[in-house]
Amino acid sequence: MNISYKRASAIFVKDYKEFSRNYALSIMLLFPILFAVLFKSAGASLPGAAGFLFNSSFVLLTCFAQACLIAEEKERNTLRTLMLTPATTMDVLMGKSSLVFVMSTVVLAISTLLFGYEPANIGVFVAAIVLSIVLYTAAGTICGLYSKTLLDASLSIIPVAFIFMGAPWGAVLAKDYPVFGVLDYMPSSQLVHLLNLSPAGYSAGEVWPPLLIIAAWTAVLTLVSVVLYQKRLRDE
Amino acid sequence: MQFQPIYEDGELIMPKLELDLSASPSVGIITDLRRKQLLMEQLSRESGNYLSWAGQNEYMRLTVEELISFLIRMSGREERAAVLTDYFALKEERKVRLMQLSSSKRVYVTLLRAFFAHQSTLVLEEPYFYLEEQDRRQLKRILDDLSQQKRILILTSNLEDALISCDVIYRLSGSGLHQLDIRDSEEEKQEAVKQDEANITLQKISTKREDKVILFDPPEIDFIESVEGSILVHVGGEHYDCTLTLTQLEARLLNFGFFRCHRSYIVNLQKVREIITWTKNSYSLRLNTGKEAVVPLSRSKLQELKALLKL
Repeated sequence: MNISYKRASAIFVKDYKEFSRNYALSIMLLFPILFAVLFKSAGASLPGAAGFLFNSSFVLLTCFAQACLIAEEKERNTLRTLMLTPATTMDVLMGKSSLVFVMSTVVLAISTLLFGYEPANIGVFVAAIVLSIVLYTAAGTICGLYSKTLLDASLSIIPVAFIFMGAPWGAVLAKDYPVFGVLDYMPSSQLVHLLNLSPAGYSAGEVWPPLLIIAAWTAVLTLVSVVLYQKRLRDE
Repeated sequence: MQFQPIYEDGELIMPKLELDLSASPSVGIITDLRRKQLLMEQLSRESGNYLSWAGQNEYMRLTVEELISFLIRMSGREERAAVLTDYFALKEERKVRLMQLSSSKRVYVTLLRAFFAHQSTLVLEEPYFYLEEQDRRQLKRILDDLSQQKRILILTSNLEDALISCDVIYRLSGSGLHQLDIRDSEEEKQEAVKQDEANITLQKISTKREDKVILFDPPEIDFIESVEGSILVHVGGEHYDCTLTLTQLEARLLNFGFFRCHRSYIVNLQKVREIITWTKNSYSLRLNTGKEAVVPLSRSKLQELKALLKL
């Protein structure tokens, strides 16, 4: 599958202009920063604040923005005309995803600084965040493909928010109800484990399993989103 | 180009069709909404066709110039956005966002995607329907230029829209495709018809509808049309069959201010409101009947009409 840099960047620029002029969507960029400021004043004593900050940012920003970008194209029937241009599936997805990726990276960097989170290992932290952004972009693509309008897209985010944002909290119940132990394998729970690494010292056994689980999720969801995208477009 | 037959509830909606697009660069098909959708559906399955749907939307928050440069980059063309904006006659609107354009202009800009298509056949569904006259003229010019290299197929439910830029026009119904006879009258042999002395006193035009004979006073008639060999007399938005030929009717109605404006049309000049100029050699007449009615005017007949109206 070949990707034309020129076409992907044309889509990137087009989506950037559209997104930045749609204030109802671009206001979502402020939420992670707002959360960071709020939690910082609440104090570092709040357990799980960093985890909640990152996981909610992924859903509200990365996943939501991607779902809206795709759903808006579907709503206006511009996705099927994109199919008639020489642009391939990967051009379209790369153009859109890279915009969401850049936005998420910048906003998360700002909110990490504001919140004052200091990772135990910067390499592991960056890897986990990058993988998570790709993962939630893929989740957003799937949401967008299942919705017909912008309104649908903002509603389709809710299940994602429940499952992914709630997983770290649900995993706490695993002591009483062993069923909830499954939630510990959600990427959001694994991210919380990584964020909670103690700066004093950690073993490789604490780093690799969470990273691998997140990577597996990312790979699976990305694959699903690409396949689903091609299938959905063919059906229309 | 072939189309598969389509049945719905055991009824034949569309027979098997074979359409020869090579005869003329721009072909029009006049048919109803349902059949238009069925045709679009079948056409979209072939990769060599570019399709433009009637309900197509655009990126509303981009400006016209941004959209054009986006389309240039997507299609890998070399032109500069400013040159094309001039070519599309959108210079004044180039900094305006699409959502702020008038609805006719917005549709016009949306239709410009066809210009960038790499496919060899462009299929346009109702391209002229939502356009104002100014934009129709621009689109016709662009489509005429495109037809030098590509084949254009226009699907519409309106004969006048098809006449704007199609050289060959078909009407599609349950019984199949029928080509409309729209050649200019200059090729026609002028047959000298002897006027029947007895008919001169008869001033009514007799028509038939559902086995009833209906007589019309000539001034009531808006225009008369020849469609697939049968003569339709249009009165107040309705049409009635007539058994006379156009040549007979022309001779009979000459004294009532009727004019043979086209090989297949006779128009009541009293009802003509406007002469529309599409391009230097394509004209239509708009009537001031209650319903919107437009009748084509042959190039060769324009001088004759001007003389009649003392223009």
